Parts: sequence; structure tokens; C-alpha cells
Amino acid sequence: MLTYLLKRILLFIPTLLIISLVAFAMSKATDDDPLIRLNPQANNMPSFRNDALYQKRAFQKTAQELNLNKPTFYFNFTAAAYPDTLYRILLKNDRSIAKKLISQYGNWNYITTYQHQLDRLVDKLFDLPDQVKRTTKNKIRNDILTTKVSYKDKRIQSFLSGLDSKIRQDSVLNQYLRNEMDAVATSYQNVKSKATPSKLWVPSFRWYGFDNQYHHWITSFLTGNFGISYVDGRPVTSKIKSALSWTLMFNLISIFLAYLISIPLGVVAAAKKNSTFDKTSTLITFLLFSLPSFWVATMLVMFFTTPEYGSWTNIFPSIGIGKNYGNQSSWEQFWDVAAHMILPLFCLTYSALAFISRQVRGGMLDIFQQDFIRTAKAKGVSEKKVVWKHAFRNSLFPIITMFAAVFPATLAGSVVIEIIFQIPGMGRLAFDAIMNEDWSVVFSVLMLAAILTIIGNLVADMLYALADPRVTFSSKN
Amino acid sequence: MSTGSNIMKEEAASYSGGGYWYTIKKHFKKSRSSKWSLRILIVLLFIALFSDFIANEKPLYCQIDGVTSFPVLKNYLVKTKLSKWPPQLLNMDWSNADYNKVIFAPIPYSATTMDMNNTGYISPFGKQDVKSKRFWHWLGTDKLGRDTLAGMIAGTRTAMLVGVIAMSIATIIGLFFGTIAGYFGDNKFKLTRAQLLMNIIALVFAIFFAFIARQYVLAEGNTLFELFKSLLIFVSVFILFNLLASILNFIPFLKKEVTIPIDILIMRLIEVMNSIPGLLFLLAMLAIIKHPSILYVMLFIGLLRWTGIARFVRAELLRIRNLKYIEATEAFGFKTMRIIVKHAIPNAITPVLITIAFGIASAILLEAFLSFLGIGVGPEEVTWGSMLSHARTNFSAWWLAIFPGIAIFITVTVFNLIGEGLTNAVKR
Repeated sequence: MLTYLLKRILLFIPTLLIISLVAFAMSKATDDDPLIRLNPQANNMPSFRNDALYQKRAFQKTAQELNLNKPTFYFNFTAAAYPDTLYRILLKNDRSIAKKLISQYGNWNYITTYQHQLDRLVDKLFDLPDQVKRTTKNKIRNDILTTKVSYKDKRIQSFLSGLDSKIRQDSVLNQYLRNEMDAVATSYQNVKSKATPSKLWVPSFRWYGFDNQYHHWITSFLTGNFGISYVDGRPVTSKIKSALSWTLMFNLISIFLAYLISIPLGVVAAAKKNSTFDKTSTLITFLLFSLPSFWVATMLVMFFTTPEYGSWTNIFPSIGIGKNYGNQSSWEQFWDVAAHMILPLFCLTYSALAFISRQVRGGMLDIFQQDFIRTAKAKGVSEKKVVWKHAFRNSLFPIITMFAAVFPATLAGSVVIEIIFQIPGMGRLAFDAIMNEDWSVVFSVLMLAAILTIIGNLVADMLYALADPRVTFSSKN
Repeated sequence: MSTGSNIMKEEAASYSGGGYWYTIKKHFKKSRSSKWSLRILIVLLFIALFSDFIANEKPLYCQIDGVTSFPVLKNYLVKTKLSKWPPQLLNMDWSNADYNKVIFAPIPYSATTMDMNNTGYISPFGKQDVKSKRFWHWLGTDKLGRDTLAGMIAGTRTAMLVGVIAMSIATIIGLFFGTIAGYFGDNKFKLTRAQLLMNIIALVFAIFFAFIARQYVLAEGNTLFELFKSLLIFVSVFILFNLLASILNFIPFLKKEVTIPIDILIMRLIEVMNSIPGLLFLLAMLAIIKHPSILYVMLFIGLLRWTGIARFVRAELLRIRNLKYIEATEAFGFKTMRIIVKHAIPNAITPVLITIAFGIASAILLEAFLSFLGIGVGPEEVTWGSMLSHARTNFSAWWLAIFPGIAIFITVTVFNLIGEGLTNAVKR
């Protein structure tokens, strides 16, 4: 038993590793850049050199705090054309443009020169005398910045020639910017003429060591530090704590209710096989099983929480978990929350209920066919006693193990219900975070949900052993 | 029935081929619910297949200025770039054109047709501004004036496609892993050292040449087409290195065989997959895709849902591989591949069918939920879930909640019933 437990806990490691890797990879695959998200002033165009410097420092500071100035992973496996210092480009967008240029031309040193020349051109704009109009300045800066984020040859060419002619038309501009502009043009021609696309087909492996983003992320996660939300800068831990308690409460109540109702339902249906009760309950549970809970939830919200279809259907309070006015007694508050819970709990419970009661009925029917039941009946044991004492006890086994299937299913189901009824649980938190690309929250929620699922499976296995001492877990299958 | 005759039955079944299937079919059809569910399924498949002819803003047949055309059929040719619209039909307002003769589809609206006269959630019983009863919106319209019934017809196609394609992907993966795990177990899967080495190297190179070196084209070009090309490269690298391995096998040191506990490895993989919170993962994956399409939904559902199938196939093959007839085929000296494909898998397929039936039901449900949330479907695609989501923004539009919901419910029930029927048929 202990070795088995140990083995199962060891299985945590590969599971969490895979989930953490995929979640991490997803967070890196998005366009969204936490540096810009956390520095809202980033979108303002700097009008003085000092502003630009300040902006750069702000990025550096945030990157330092979030470890974004480090290599992404322990190692890097990519084409030899990519430099091993690409991670030093802090902004995601700049980095992806650099990558796209490399993947076309394969000559990083020329590409980086070209990009530096563009930066110098932008920098030179600050030196322009005041006689140049602000709007002209901004127009030129805009053009340069759009060139900087283009990677297709046609686009870059047209922007560069447009810039060139604009500068040529104005004598002051021409005087100040001519050299830099020419440098940009030649450096871009170099990129194109001295391309080394063959380097793109040479694999290269680089080792970065432990000082990388993933390592920092996963180690701080394992020590209980989930980082800060990219949206509001609040610590993720505090967000998750309240969400987790809602979800757990919600799920456990619903599973408890489902078991409470479905066990007698299934047992009685099996005991009175082919009776009207059995037939109707089997039909109803089958229909409930196929009934999409998000549809039922939507319908309930539509018809019973709004006065849209007459005031008599507006029975339940609207979605959410009720408001905390502060001057309520805790008793009133409890009732308020409870009233809000009725519909979501119903939606979450009915599908689990249908599943469990069908399983209970099936398990009981199998047992009723066995010899010891016939013997008990022949002995003259009362019907009630046969059902509950002889048969039900023996069918407890599969009922308990069903927890392993029910728990993750309810967790997934509660995502649906939480979103529709706006309950601030883990599902809703995860959904909002995914929609807002708040990856530090998504990452933590995914990991915690996986841990919860594994624990659910583990608990079911332990119960399995408690219910049947014959289970030793030593056999492999 | 004794176990002895059971084995004989199975052995006989594996040789005659039809016998086992015949009994399953017979038992399946005995149940009234399975028979009816099969009938409804056929109707649903018919609607899915011919949805363009059932609900379409273009006429099935028309004559304009003496020119006869079949716009619905023509549209297929135009879509596949085999033909072009004649200039006078290019930007045609099909519902208001002057026809000499015309036959419209039973529902004269496409799912995406916006009826400008009936925008803003028109109830089926409300006042509708239509030319004649022929153009009546029988199930109402949504905010943009799109016909609910036409949307339901188009949604049938999407739902069926999602169910079938997602589960096909899952079946291929599950069958592959399940067969290997079940047939070889922990001590029958042997590779020479050369093969092991070459396959590991092949994996590294295949990933590099198929995905890393091609990341620019994958991101910039036609993603699905390029992805297909990448997969081809992936497979061919493996073939190449395995050819290389067969040459290296002539070196005695590299020829030594290594046993790989493939069953344990695959079972662990399945356990890991089952601990993944699938719904949240799917949401996150789909949210980061730049050009959402229903194809990704199918792909991801397939990639997540193969474990059940793999488990069943493995269990069946564990049983089958010890049967006498497999021993016989081995004694004949048949190749392992042939034994697995021709003799082992056909006998393991029925329990897989059960999982597939339930799997299709849950895939359809999942897709409906995703499009209900507006995740994963393109803005142009009309699905049952996306129609249902409009009801959430306007509580008075009960028809947008009830009808698509019923469609989802019926489809899911049908597949669940088929799964049930198969389960009972196999049990007997």
C-alpha cells in the first residue's frame, strides 16, 4: 500500500512537468507582452530623449522583476542562424520581428546592424531643430517604427523609399537625417545581398543552465509563490485562494448531493427491475445524462432569474453570488448566498446524479444474479435485508471507485456552470485569465486543477483499498 | 454457456469474419431504442450531407433572362476554383432577383444570410416583413436577421463533422498506442540497438526539419497545408533513419536486441493525459490561435480524447494475443504487422466502437460549449453553440435558446443510445 502510494505520488512529477511545460510554452506563444501590459505608458510616443531612456529603463526594471531578461528554457534547440543571445531583446514584438527576418535571410549580424541603424534614425529625430513641425516629426517617427515592425521585403522596401523621398523633400530634414537614412538603406541592402539561408537548415543545440525563465517560474511555483497577475498586478495566490474555496465547496456539496439522491434511486430501481418506477427512473436518468448542462443553465437563467417572461417566472435571484452590503447579519448573508446557489448546484448535480444512479443500478443488477443472493432469498431473509444488507454492501465497491470518474468530471462541469452563473470559482478565474491572457494566473490554475484531479484519483484508489482488503496494488494491471 | 464454447465461438468468428459481427448486429437491432437512434442518426447525417440543398439563399434551379443555371451546385465548383460566377450573377441579390423560373431550397436562407428586413430578434410568432409565407422565418431570426432554422441546418453539418473528425483522430492515435501496448506488452517489444539509436536521433532531426526549420512558412503560409507538409517531412525522416538502421544492423554490436517495456510507458502516458484538466487546456490552446477555425477544435479534441480508446484496445489485445488463433498465425510465420492488422485488431474493434459512439457525443457537446463561449470558431461560422450564445445576450429570444439546445440534446442522446445499444449487444 505504502509503495503504491509512493508510486502514485511519483507520477505527480511527469504529469506536472508536462502540464507546466505546455502551459509555459503557450504563454510564450502568445503575442501579448507582459512588459507592455505592466507598463501602460509604453504606448505613449516619447517626445524627448530622456523620455525614451526612461521608457527603456522601465522595461528593463519590469523584465528584471519578472525574470524576462533571462533565457527562456534550460536549453535551446534551433537553427544555427539564430544567435544564442536573442533573449536579450526584451520586447516580444521586437524579438519576433528579428526572428522572422532571420528565418528569411539567416544572417543575424547584418540584420542586427540594420535594426541598430533604424534605432539611430529614431534617436536622431530628437536632435531636429524646433523649426521642424511636430506633426512632420511624428509622421516620420511613425514611418520608421512601422518599418521596424515589418518583416516582409515588399513592405520594408516601400516604407524605406517613402521615408527617403520624404526626407529628401525637406532641406532641414535632409541636412540632419541624410547620413542615417543612407546607412539604413545600405544596411538593409546588405541584409538582402549577403543572405545565408543555408544556415537555417543546420541544427544547433545550446545549453543555458539553470538561470532561466522556466526554472525561476517552476521553482517559485513549487515554493508557493505564484507570481503576480499581469492584469492588475495583484498576487496570484490571493486570487486563487478565494476561487479555490468556492469551487471546492461547490463541487463537494454537489457530489455529496448526487450520491445522496442517486444511491437509493439506483438501488430501488434495481431491486424492482422492470417495474414502472424502474422504467421511468432509467429513462429520466438517461435523458438527464445527455442533457447539456450549459444549455439547461442558460435556459434556467433566461426563464427563472429575469422578469422577461412574466414576474411569476422570476423566482430566483439573478446570477452571481449575491452582494455583500456589510450591514447584513451573517445569517442573512448565508441565506442570500444559498439562494444564489440553488440553480448552479442543480445544474452541476443532475448530470453526476444521472451517471451515478445508472452505475449503481447496473452494479446492483449484476449482484442480484449471484448465487449468494439467491441463497439469502431461499433462506427467507426479508426483501429489504437482501437488498440493503447483502446486495448493496457488495456493490459499494464500484460506487466508491466511481468517485475517481465523478470528481474530475464535476470539476470540468463546474467550469461551465461558474462561467454561466458568474460564480467566482477556479473555472471562472481560469476563463477570465485565458480571455485576458493573464498567463501567470492561467499557469497556476492549470497546475492546481491537475493536482486536484490526481488527488481525486488517488483518494478513489485509497477508498478502493479500504472497501476491499483484497486489493493489494501489487499486481500491475 | 461454458468458456470453452465461448473461445470456440470467438475463434470461429475470427476465421469466418461475418459471424461475430452478425450476432452483434442482431443483438443491437433487437433493442427498440438503438433501432430508433440509428434511424435518427441517418436523418441527421442526411441533413449534414445535404445541408446546402436544404437551406440556401441561392436557388436550386433558376432561369434568368433565358439563361438556366443551378446556383447551389455551381457554388461548389466556384468554391473549389473549378469555375467562376458569370459577371451578371457575381454580386447577385438572390432573394430579390427577377426570375423567369425558379426553385428555391426548402429554406430559402443560408445560415449567414442577413435578412435586412427582419433584424433584431424576430420571434417565430412575431410580425415578420417577408414577401410571402414561402420566406417566413419559421424559427425566428437573430440580431442580424439570420434565420434560426437555416442556422440549425448548417449547425448539423458542423456538429457531425466535429464529432466524426475529432473521433477519427482520437481513434487513430488510440488504436496505435493501444495496439502496441496490448500486443507487445512489457517483454515482446524488441528493437536492435541500431534501431533504438537511430529512432532517437530521427526524433530530434524530424522535429528540427519538420517544425523548427520551417517555423516561418508554418506561421506565414497556409497553416494547415504547411502543417501537412511538415508531417510528411516528419514521417520521411523516420523512414530514412530506419533504413539506415537496417544497414547498421550488420554490425554485430549494434544488432543486439533491447527489450522496451512499451506497455508501462504507454500506460503512464495515458495516466498523465487523464490528469490533464482537458477543458481548461482546450480553452487556453484555442484562445492563443490567431485565426480560429473549427478545424483546430476538431484537432485538439482528437488529441485529448484518445486515452479511452487506447485503454479498451489494449485490454482487448491483451486478451486476444493469448488466444489460440494468434498463436497459430505466429506459428505460420506471418509478419507481426500482418497479424496485428489483419487478425488482432478486427476482433478488438467492437468495444472501441462503444467508446467512439460516446466519444462523438462528448465531442459534439464540447464543441457546442466552446462555440457557446465564442472560443475556437471563426466569426463566419454558425454552430448550434454560437446560436445559443445569442440567447444569453438577449433573454427575450427564447427561440434561440430552445431550438439549438434541442438539436444538441437530440444528437448527443442519439450517440449515447447507440453506445448503450452496442454495450448491451456485446455483453450478450
